[in-house]
Amino acid sequence: MIQRLRQPGAIRIEFQPIVRVHEGRHELYAVEALTRGPRGTSMERPDVLFDYARRKGQESAIDLISIATAFAEAPSLTCAPLLSINIHGTTLTSIDRFTEWLLTSAASHGIAADRLMLEIIEHRAPWVIETFRATLDELRDAGVRIAVDDLGVGASNYQMIVDCRPDHLKVDRHIVFGCSRDPWRRAVLESIVTLARSCDATPVAEGIEDVDDLAVLLGLGINTVQGWLYAPSMPAPELAASPMFQAMKGRNP
Amino acid sequence: MTKRLLIVDNEDTILFALQRYFTRVGFHVDCAKELEEAEALAAYTKYDLVIVDLSLTDTGSTEGLEILRHLRSTRSGARVILLTAYGSKAVEREAYRRGADAFLHKPRPLAEIARVAEKLTGAFA
Repeated sequence: MIQRLRQPGAIRIEFQPIVRVHEGRHELYAVEALTRGPRGTSMERPDVLFDYARRKGQESAIDLISIATAFAEAPSLTCAPLLSINIHGTTLTSIDRFTEWLLTSAASHGIAADRLMLEIIEHRAPWVIETFRATLDELRDAGVRIAVDDLGVGASNYQMIVDCRPDHLKVDRHIVFGCSRDPWRRAVLESIVTLARSCDATPVAEGIEDVDDLAVLLGLGINTVQGWLYAPSMPAPELAASPMFQAMKGRNP
Repeated sequence: MTKRLLIVDNEDTILFALQRYFTRVGFHVDCAKELEEAEALAAYTKYDLVIVDLSLTDTGSTEGLEILRHLRSTRSGARVILLTAYGSKAVEREAYRRGADAFLHKPRPLAEIARVAEKLTGAFA
């Protein structure tokens, strides 16, 4: 299977809009590139795909293929202010001259560094902290935004925030979904808003599926959101042609 | 509710035959051809039944026992049928010791595997 995943076209990328709600208007803030395995295989699901890649020691290889594929397909979505891509913390420390590779690859598709947001995901710590921080500093200096992904679950914890010093906190769906009906979720979200303010970071809520949850988030001060309420992930051409995207692309923040 | 089945075998023909049969009788079937693929699938899906070949690489290898160990260590409630063309009595004893629900020697008619699956899960047939 691992050989199959490394073949051209096996890894697919879908994109999902990230929306900012501003004075009642919905503006396109970014598009996130999401990795999918080959259709019709057990690897179609990203959680299974990356779990498998991790067990085979190929997590970073899949990360790089995913990013290269995202860059190749993103030009049809140029109207999105930011292109958000996912990467494992271990990839940042295990790939030699990662920053140079990333920026060169992006530039070759006409994507400027200041349009990039890197979402750091991790399933196992510790990484080599000095290399990790040095790489993040290089990326920040180049204008790349840094986000901690899946905040609130797994290894996306306070250690990740301290080590990454992110400008975006992406709150996991597990915390967001159902927050209108669950005081415990609201309490966690409130603490994240306070944390984000203290760190001068933007909180982004993932997994918005209904308007009641959205209302709670807006009330708490989280106005950057993503989820099925707006659009599921889809291939770049489909997203570019979707009525929602067409309507929103003229309203960038 | 549809029962979920994971079939693990490195031989395409066996995988195909089992997948087709169990899909037809109403299972939702996932397939894996190697140890890591099976473990990754089991990490994110609650299976009712796992049918796994004892050897997924060379003759004499015992990846099936490793998958069984993984399932039991993660407290998966899946019933497990081990299939083998080469297993000895010692391996069979080890499989049961690790929590296998059935240990079947290949070749075996599909209908017989299905009967064991039905007995273990209470599904179909």
